[in-house]
Amino acid sequence: MKKLLNLQTYLPLLFGVGSVVILMGAWWGISLLTNHEIPSPLMTWSVFNEMLATPFYDYGPNDKGIGNQLVSSLIRVFSGFGLGSLVAIPLGLLIGSNKTAFRLINPIIQILRPVSPLAWFPLGLLAFKAAEGATIFIIFVTSVWPTLINTAFGVASIPQDHKNVAKAYGFSRWKYITKVIIPFALPHIITGLRLSIGVAWMVIVAGEMLSGGVGIGFFVWDSWNALSLEKILSAILIIGTVGLLLDKGFDWLQKRFAFA
Amino acid sequence: MTLHPISAPVDSASEFHKIQSRPASIELKDISVAFKTPKGVFTAIKDIDLTIQKGEIVALIGHSGCGKSTLMGTISGMTQPTSGTVIANGNVVKGPGPDRGIVFQNYSLLPWLSVYQNIYEAVDSVFKGKTSAEKREITEENLKMVNLWPHKDKLPGQLSGGMKQRVAIARAFAINPSILLLDEPFGALDALTKGSMHIELLKLWNLDNRNKTIVMVTHDIEEAIFLSDRVVVMNNGPAATIKEIVDVRLPRPRNKKDIVHDPAYMEIHDRLMSLLFDKFSIEDD
Ligand SMILES: Nc1ncnc2c1ncn2[C@@H]1O[C@H](COP(=O)(O)OP(=O)(O)OP(=O)(O)O)[C@@H](O)[C@H]1O
Ligand SMILES: [Mg+2]
Repeated sequence: MKKLLNLQTYLPLLFGVGSVVILMGAWWGISLLTNHEIPSPLMTWSVFNEMLATPFYDYGPNDKGIGNQLVSSLIRVFSGFGLGSLVAIPLGLLIGSNKTAFRLINPIIQILRPVSPLAWFPLGLLAFKAAEGATIFIIFVTSVWPTLINTAFGVASIPQDHKNVAKAYGFSRWKYITKVIIPFALPHIITGLRLSIGVAWMVIVAGEMLSGGVGIGFFVWDSWNALSLEKILSAILIIGTVGLLLDKGFDWLQKRFAFA
Repeated sequence: MTLHPISAPVDSASEFHKIQSRPASIELKDISVAFKTPKGVFTAIKDIDLTIQKGEIVALIGHSGCGKSTLMGTISGMTQPTSGTVIANGNVVKGPGPDRGIVFQNYSLLPWLSVYQNIYEAVDSVFKGKTSAEKREITEENLKMVNLWPHKDKLPGQLSGGMKQRVAIARAFAINPSILLLDEPFGALDALTKGSMHIELLKLWNLDNRNKTIVMVTHDIEEAIFLSDRVVVMNNGPAATIKEIVDVRLPRPRNKKDIVHDPAYMEIHDRLMSLLFDKFSIEDD
């Protein structure tokens, strides 16, 4: 019985180890097939360690530690994401609860949502006269859609029962928004935020390749120019890990705000 | 159909008369409600005429799906009748109002608010002039009445069906409405809790000098007779109408143990039973 329990607790760990082995195996195989043009895991590992050993060094604008690059990217992502959410949540609440607003705004969303956020980059440059502003702008555009759509959907699906309570007890508009609409829509809003941050983290890499400067995306591009594939592969692993952590963070929020 | 209790105590009839001469609290005039469904128009209730006096307790009884909740909805203002007028406290009903407290059949608690907050928010919404201390006191009082004070911080999802029902009852009582609309308020309660809730309901009614009008849907014949002055029996739908109104001229205060032996009680009970369950009597409207 005790043995079984142990197996149960170690099972996730075993699977984790298993998937790492598969990844490393595939990677190693490809590396072999390309005659180490793609560096092997081991070759990458030493570069990776080097990068992590001094993450925050700063030798001028084109030579900064991976930590500096990550922090710059994260600041951009959270600025754009924060601004996007500030627009998306209230707008979502509005179009979810008001049919007229929905019918007016929904076509606009439908047209703009499929556009790659990078297409907004030149407009951002025009508006902000700087690559920094333009990058934050494309993250802003990216993070609006999932949050907006999920919020609106959440609000629109409030059960009649809950509306009835508000109606029967004469809730004021403010009380209805704060005690009925927002609590009901909150799990949907967080789902939207979770999707938004995920896409924003994907887009930032591409955005920074366009904008240059400091950032994980630029780091990838710069490593390509320096022909350091080890650095690129390390950066991919780091980008993936940070993305996973962001997702886990919002997953935690989602569980935290789910009502029984 | 009128009932003549075999041994009616003297004050019973006169008390009844007193109620009859009081002003109308609820007037239903030719109420019909039809729903638009994908299969066409469905008439749930039709030509309902009923006047309920101030301070009266009326039970609404009928088979499942006949339209009791729909009828209650027209009084509460949650449902607009397709034709006809509802007048409550002298005003035409156009929507819900704080003069009518509702206990919904499905409790309708807000699942993200604690038991306490569910009641407090309703109290807060209705008593805009009161201080928050007063509002908290009202909330506490009503939670204690339904014995849920120890559970005040729980979320509705953590409550049993009966407990949810008691929160809904406390919420309706807390706003102190002159009309209480209760849709199967005690349906999910065990016999013991049900009994004490009956007493609480009557206490509340007495406390207010029997000025509160109570309309209550129930499937429980004993409960209907014990609590009410009149029992309105509805036909089966669709297009349900009032089949018969049975007067309950039993003196108050009523004692649950004793009244069941009262011949008048038995006569009313039999009548209701045959209205609800006798196949042959279904056609006699
Ligand atoms: N919103 C609606 N749309 C369509 N039909 C409805 C609607 N509400 C109720 N009905 C129909 O009206 C009829 C009466 O429903 P109602 O809920 O009033 O019954 P009830 O007497 O309260 O039943 P129960 O005792 O089971 O609660 C039913 O046939 C129901 O299907
Ligand atoms: Mg019903």
